[in-house]
Amino acid sequence: MRLTPEQFWTYSEWLFDNWGLLTGLLLVIVLAVIGFLVGFVVSMIKRGPGEGFLHVAKIIRELFAVDLPKTSVRRVYAIASLAVKEAIRKKILVVVAVFVIAIMFAGWYLDPKSDNPAQLYISFVMFWTNILMLILGLFVSCFSLPADIKSRTIYTIVTKPVRATELFFGRVFGFVAVGTIILLMLGSMSYLFVVRGLNHTHEIEELAPNGISGSTTTERFHQHSFSIEENGTGATNVVKGHRHEVLKQGDKIVLGPPVDDLTARVPVYGRLRFTGRDGEESEGYNVGYMSEYQKYIEGDTLSSAIWKFKDVRPGSSDQTALNYDITLSAFRTYKGDIVTPVGGVVVFRSTDGTVESERFSFKVKEFQIDQRSIPLKLKGFRNGEPTDLDFFKDIAPDGSFEIMVRCLDRNQYLGMAAADVYLRRDTKSFWQNFVKGYISIWLQMVIVICFGVMFSCFLSGQVALIATVSFLVLGFFGSFVDNVLSKKIEGGGPIESLIKIPLGASATIDLDLGSPVLENVIRSSDRGLLTCVKTLKDAIPNFNQLGTSDFVAYGVDLSSGLLARHLTICFGYFLMTSLISYFFLKTREMAA
Amino acid sequence: MSTSTATPPATGASTDPTNVIVETRNLGKIYRDFWGRKKVHALKSLDIEVRRGEIFGLLGPNGSGKSTTIKLMLGLLFPTSGRAFVFGKDATDVSKNERIGYLPEESYLYKFLNAEETLDFYGRLFDMPAEVRRERTEQLIQMVGLQRARRRQLKEYSKGMTRRIGLAQALINEPEFLVLDEPTTGLDPIGTREMKDLILRLREQGKTILMCSHQLADVQDVCDRVAILHQGDLKELGRVQDLLKVQDVTEIHARGLDEKTKQEIKDLIARSNGELLQMDNPTTTMEELFLDIVRESEQRPGRRGGAS
Repeated sequence: MRLTPEQFWTYSEWLFDNWGLLTGLLLVIVLAVIGFLVGFVVSMIKRGPGEGFLHVAKIIRELFAVDLPKTSVRRVYAIASLAVKEAIRKKILVVVAVFVIAIMFAGWYLDPKSDNPAQLYISFVMFWTNILMLILGLFVSCFSLPADIKSRTIYTIVTKPVRATELFFGRVFGFVAVGTIILLMLGSMSYLFVVRGLNHTHEIEELAPNGISGSTTTERFHQHSFSIEENGTGATNVVKGHRHEVLKQGDKIVLGPPVDDLTARVPVYGRLRFTGRDGEESEGYNVGYMSEYQKYIEGDTLSSAIWKFKDVRPGSSDQTALNYDITLSAFRTYKGDIVTPVGGVVVFRSTDGTVESERFSFKVKEFQIDQRSIPLKLKGFRNGEPTDLDFFKDIAPDGSFEIMVRCLDRNQYLGMAAADVYLRRDTKSFWQNFVKGYISIWLQMVIVICFGVMFSCFLSGQVALIATVSFLVLGFFGSFVDNVLSKKIEGGGPIESLIKIPLGASATIDLDLGSPVLENVIRSSDRGLLTCVKTLKDAIPNFNQLGTSDFVAYGVDLSSGLLARHLTICFGYFLMTSLISYFFLKTREMAA
Repeated sequence: MSTSTATPPATGASTDPTNVIVETRNLGKIYRDFWGRKKVHALKSLDIEVRRGEIFGLLGPNGSGKSTTIKLMLGLLFPTSGRAFVFGKDATDVSKNERIGYLPEESYLYKFLNAEETLDFYGRLFDMPAEVRRERTEQLIQMVGLQRARRRQLKEYSKGMTRRIGLAQALINEPEFLVLDEPTTGLDPIGTREMKDLILRLREQGKTILMCSHQLADVQDVCDRVAILHQGDLKELGRVQDLLKVQDVTEIHARGLDEKTKQEIKDLIARSNGELLQMDNPTTTMEELFLDIVRESEQRPGRRGGAS
């Protein structure tokens, strides 16, 4: 899982500091102007410039002066409940059956030897739920209104005092209600599948002569070692992302259910900076990977990554340790001992650099979250002299401190981004995080329904489906367009690629048709096309960013700030699609 | 070319301008293709008025512009030229629909709903409270005789039953103005008679009705005034009785005449330089004959004597 810095902005940071509100307003203004111009041109063709302008102005006036204020909740409810009945009586619940079948046979294709079964199970159920809900949203929203128009049932609706706003809201709310019912069913089944599927325990297989340590039986392709404290409680080691609590009851030692596999860690992020190999300020090294997400530090030099944390206070008076997670990746310039992971050290130090902890060494666990902790009473150095330290008195007296990471192995590199080291301040309940993850799926479904209904207001069912699928594809794979435009992906634009395919020309070689003028025309056309697609892509939601299943699967608490941001984006698209749909419904001849 | 004929008020109707329910002024419609090219000139400069309390019929062959006129009045289509007003409001104004009931040519209803759900749904669209909807649904189901089928989905309904539930939904809001598109289509003779009786009863209740039909006999039976359209042009407009009256032919109905008297009448016509066109026993209509047989059969079930 890779978190990006913008994923841990607070809601206000996103809205005010990072142009969220301004971008949204700008989008609304641009769309309003484009909508007005398109409407005016269409109306002008039919009625001439003067009357065309008046017609569009009349529609805008009616929206705010008549149709919105007079929108009836009862009519919206009637259309919404009709949509629910229609969906249910048209056997939409078959989606649930498909999901049940998928999880019934999950055991066939989910690897029981996986390093982290919880991640696998959660990713599996959330992926399928997400896919099914998007498909469901797509189909229910694209075909309903065109079907009514085709069967002329719409005649009996629009000859009643039903307003365009009510038609759109009723359909969207109805389909969202259907989706919500089905999502609740899928969510409940998924939760039971994950929780019950992961639940297991072990027996004691071997007990050491001291009677307080030993190993467990092998269950589900793993076993644990354990130790027991003097008070009769203990724990196993962490294997496959979980451990078990151990309890000594008389002569008997009992292991509890798995813990820590289904969790929601609340991360506290810091700001990242780098120093170069001589200790100078740096931006980190680029090892040549295409992704600009991570920067690297060089091993066995003064090159380091430094995270600065602010406002970190002790959680409670009995807190004895500071928990932190690291997720680093290694880049080897020579193979060396391939079995031994690249090593590094972590140092906690005060912001003025006068006080620092001892070095805590680690071995990189690639593609895994390495959960670590340090005691609050620890050894360290003050002005270079060894001393005993109290973390919150000596290193972070005002709540600010730094974590410095260095790579130990010569000529090897460690890669990291801002979100790859964070403090684990708290742990929240898994089921709450699970619900938040499903809310994210719900929001994606709502956006798809809004777009589906909007397209169905002026397109036939099949064409509306194609339009919505195109919008989904662009929403999921829009970064591809960015990469083609910035030439990170070679091969040129659509026209250039189309010419290269029959010529059998390599994607990495520039187009050579023997005519520089023609080549320039093709490249310019490609740029124009791609810029249009990019503009469109920027105006539609990025579904990759809206997806949060990784948070749940990797046990990171999905912050309410992020969820509120997604909710705002969803509401923005709801407003946008409402306005466009209103315009089309008002100008469409239902009997044409 | 439109023809606006000054006509005396129909039964219960008034020429008072405030009592004009529908007015079209120079109303025209051209259907165009995707590229904006003219396909059909469906309606040309139509000027008609439908007055409060009358039954107004739109007549014409297929493609004459009847349905287009109705759709323009209901706001389902937008005029290419001219305007249509209903209750003094532009036909595209949604608020006019509060006072309108519409029975489409075919009952375009949701097949997955049953009769009660259908009426409840359309009641909600008129923003009617639950209590009123329940009461109205009950009344209408009784009125159209669908008590036994009230909980069956409409997809199981026969064509006649579908027509009846269609009429019920058109009446859910107790409209002042009813638009009936081919109201007797799909009905058997009994259903047709019931529909015609119902239309007349609705007029007696003060409702204004606009209907179009291919069944000329139905139009003749119930309409006060008719407009005859052909190829988008208004060809005739006026009271049914006036339009049907043949001015230079005299019709005499008499009972109990012997052959001698009949011959004297023939002689009298000849002496007066008249031309006898027909003198015979009148025939009843097939509708009357059918209804008599059904009525008799209901009173005395079994095979009718002498039937072949």
